[in-house]
Amino acid sequence: MNGFRKVCRWLHRELGFFAVGLTLVYAISGIAVNHVHHWDPSHASYVASSRIEPPGDGETEAVAPLVLERLALQEPVKETWRAGRDLLQVFVQDGTIDVNLVTGEVVRRGNEKRPLLYDVNFMHLNKGKAPWTGIADAYAAVLIVLAVSGIFLVKGRKGLVGRGGVLMLLGIVLPVVYAVLARRG
Amino acid sequence: MRRIVTALLLLAVAAAPAVAKEKVYGKGVAAHEATPVSTVLAHPDQFVGKTLVVEGTVVGVCAHRGCWLSLASDVEGQTLRVKVEDGVIIFPKEIVGEKVRAEGVFKANRVEDTAKKCDATRDGEPEVQCTTVYELFASGAVCDWK
Repeated sequence: MNGFRKVCRWLHRELGFFAVGLTLVYAISGIAVNHVHHWDPSHASYVASSRIEPPGDGETEAVAPLVLERLALQEPVKETWRAGRDLLQVFVQDGTIDVNLVTGEVVRRGNEKRPLLYDVNFMHLNKGKAPWTGIADAYAAVLIVLAVSGIFLVKGRKGLVGRGGVLMLLGIVLPVVYAVLARRG
Repeated sequence: MRRIVTALLLLAVAAAPAVAKEKVYGKGVAAHEATPVSTVLAHPDQFVGKTLVVEGTVVGVCAHRGCWLSLASDVEGQTLRVKVEDGVIIFPKEIVGEKVRAEGVFKANRVEDTAKKCDATRDGEPEVQCTTVYELFASGAVCDWK
C-alpha cells in the first residue's frame, strides 16, 4: 500500500503542476459560458454612428466606390451589398457598416473579441477541432488520474476512511441527486 | 526537464489551428453546380423538397447560436435564409461578409403572421392568415475565408 501511495503522490504532484494552466483555462471559460443566457462570453458588441456626404441612390457600381472613398476606412473591406434602394452595407473584419445612401447616415455594428475570454472559450468549446480534440481528451485523462490518485494521498482520519471519505461522498451525491431530479423534470 | 519543456512547446505549436482558407461546416458541400438564389426565389415552389447547392455572400448570421445565415442573392436586395440544426453547425459571427456555399433541402414553412406554425384544422375559427417562409435547411456549408 505504501508503494501504491507513493506512486499516487508522484502522479498527483507531477500532473498537478502540469494541469494548472489548462485547469485555469477551462475553469475561467466554464464560468463565462455558464452564463451564456445573459451575455456573449466571447464577444462584446458595439454600435457607432457617424455621417458622410450622401452619395445618392444611383446604381451600385457608381455608388459603392463613392461610399468607400467617403468612409475612408483604415481596414480591408470584405464585401459590399446593396441591401435596399437606400441602403448599402459594407462588411469589414469585425462588423457591418450600414450606409443610408440618401441621408448619409452611417451606423457601424460590430463585435470585438473579449481579451482572454475569447481565447479560453475557443479552447474550452473546441472551436478549432482537429489537434485540440486530442489535447483536450488527454487533459480529461489527466483530471481523472488527479481525481483517483487524490483519493489515496492521505492516510488516517483525514483520508478516505475519515473526513476525506465523507467529503468525497458529498461530491458524488451532489451530481447524482441533480441528475435524478433533472430527469424527473 | 529541458526535453520535456521542448516537447510540450512543440506540441502547443502543432496544436494551433492552421490558418485555413477553406473551412468546412457540417457535411460540407458536394461538387455540384450552385443554383442561383434568384432562380430559387423566382419559382420557390418548384424547388421545395429538393436538395440544392446555393452560394453567396453572408449578410447576416444568428447572433445567439450561429444556427442560420442570410445569403445574399445575385439580385440586389434579395436574401435566402440558410438554416442548420442547432448545435450541430455553429456559424461564427465573423462569417458575415464571407462567401459561402451551402447544400441542403429547400423547405417551405407555412407560418401565421404571428410567427406560429399554421394549423390545418381550425374548426369554427376565423381563417388564419398565413405566409410561406422559404429556407434552405443545410446539412453542410463551405466558407472561403478571406
